[in-house]
Amino acid sequence: MAESRLDDLDRRLVDLLALDARVSNRKIAAELGVTEGTVRGRIRRLQDEGLITFTAITSFDMAESTRLAFISAQADVDKVREVAEQIAALPLINGVLITMGEFNITALCLFKELGDLVDTASDQILAMPGIHHVETSIAVKTIKYNAKIAKIT
Amino acid sequence: MNQTTIDSTDRAIVEELRRDGRATNQQIADSLGLTATTVSSRIKRLEDSDQMRVVAVSDFSAHGFDFLMRIAIEIEGRKASAVADELAQLPEVHAAHLVAGRYDIDVLVALSNFDELPAFFLEKIGTIRGIRTMTPAIVVDITKYQFDVAPIETRT
Repeated sequence: MAESRLDDLDRRLVDLLALDARVSNRKIAAELGVTEGTVRGRIRRLQDEGLITFTAITSFDMAESTRLAFISAQADVDKVREVAEQIAALPLINGVLITMGEFNITALCLFKELGDLVDTASDQILAMPGIHHVETSIAVKTIKYNAKIAKIT
Repeated sequence: MNQTTIDSTDRAIVEELRRDGRATNQQIADSLGLTATTVSSRIKRLEDSDQMRVVAVSDFSAHGFDFLMRIAIEIEGRKASAVADELAQLPEVHAAHLVAGRYDIDVLVALSNFDELPAFFLEKIGTIRGIRTMTPAIVVDITKYQFDVAPIETRT
């Protein structure tokens, strides 16, 4: 059974910081009813254990890559890790998952022009040795996206 | 959408914040040769125009999520957006997109473990009307997960 590695105070701390990471320790301490020292210590521990990171998230807009597509690929199982690494190194790819299912690689592509997506999917990924088939699916609308929980380590 | 012109100073500040979202305005100002006031007002402007958020991002493992799955869904007899809205209500669904391609909706699901799958499948997804097929892809490894570019919701 996978258990949360956060206790109740950690969770409340993480929830507050997930809204705005730039709140002062003093304000957090007041809000949670603990000392500033506790807040500082907890934050350090969560960072040291790789459970939390503080970062700027920018809009697709600001990235000037306003569109998201999922590129699913079928790769030889014995080469899947190697191919996944090669895909991850492509400039427009911001996520690569190795999966079990009809496809064994899912890549997330952020692009601006349709031509850039075609280039990434068909000219680059499909041309890699060990890749047999690629299927593209373009996100036309994001209904939900939780950027606050991610793979950070 | 709020349009704000982004200049190189903004971008430099964003880069500093990507490295350490909790760096003080003074620390950022010192490393970029700006004043703390400028840093502070630039950050505020980027946040107010929904171009940027500075947030804590926690790891899936911090929440005990050990089972990630992407599901590609085909819809029948109902608007895909209505189905996606219902899927988005589920706490296990971390991302939901309407997509153009072979499928209609793409979702990312996070569960604590495999034991939670039957209830999620039968009692939650199973009660949503309009889902014709689901093609799951169980995540066995994550090669890259860059989360610093994302859709940003307006603060309420």
